[in-house]
Amino acid sequence: MPEPFTRLKLPAQVQSVRIFHEFVRDGAAGLGLDASDLFKLDLVLEEILVNIARYAYDGGVGEVEVGYSAQGDTLQVEVSDQGRKYNPLEAAPAPDLTLGLADRPIGGLGVLLVKQIVSSLTYRHNDGRNTLSFRFPGHSTDS
Amino acid sequence: MHIVATQVDKAVVLKVSGRMDAENADEFDKACDAWSSKGSKNIIADLADLQYVSSMGLRSFLSAAQKLKAASGLLMLVGLHGLPLQVFEMTKLSSLFPMFESTQKALDSL
Repeated sequence: MPEPFTRLKLPAQVQSVRIFHEFVRDGAAGLGLDASDLFKLDLVLEEILVNIARYAYDGGVGEVEVGYSAQGDTLQVEVSDQGRKYNPLEAAPAPDLTLGLADRPIGGLGVLLVKQIVSSLTYRHNDGRNTLSFRFPGHSTDS
Repeated sequence: MHIVATQVDKAVVLKVSGRMDAENADEFDKACDAWSSKGSKNIIADLADLQYVSSMGLRSFLSAAQKLKAASGLLMLVGLHGLPLQVFEMTKLSSLFPMFESTQKALDSL
């Protein structure tokens, strides 16, 4: 049976990211993650949470909730907000990674990083909530 | 994140250590702006002690590099490794920056 989710709700602002890092690292404690994996977990959370802090509430105030559940050797994570309906997985066109330095757009790289690190990344919208969920592997994916 | 600047012949070395994240990433871009406005064309970012960088950090590196290039200068990266190197590689940014193993090799290239 999967473990129930442990959840934390904080203001949707950049200053909350570090608190969420500690919170989710606690959840990952039993998964045998090394320092490199933990940085990647931090990175994924930061990219998702900064997007929400900047765009979900159109500059107003709101909350964001992070939940995790250890399932076997992976960590299932959910990030949800009640801001405007927004699917970050479809909203932005993938940045053109072939452009040179002068032409390379600044931005759009966060979602790209998230997609490359986690698995089962999905978005859903119901009852006025945006929810992104993903699975973070409990061991290094480096080859 | 800490940034320590050292002026050497032909360049300024910015030693960046710790975590470059959404809360502090623009400090790097601003430091480059400040040195550029004082007449430094070339900046060497020593990243041997950089542990973590997110897309906000990449934004700061890209912005600084584009402005230096427009002023006929260069942003050179030294000692990139670990997660920060992986983040540059995953976003295909590693090919856009001149990278060196040591500050001396970066200076020798100028």
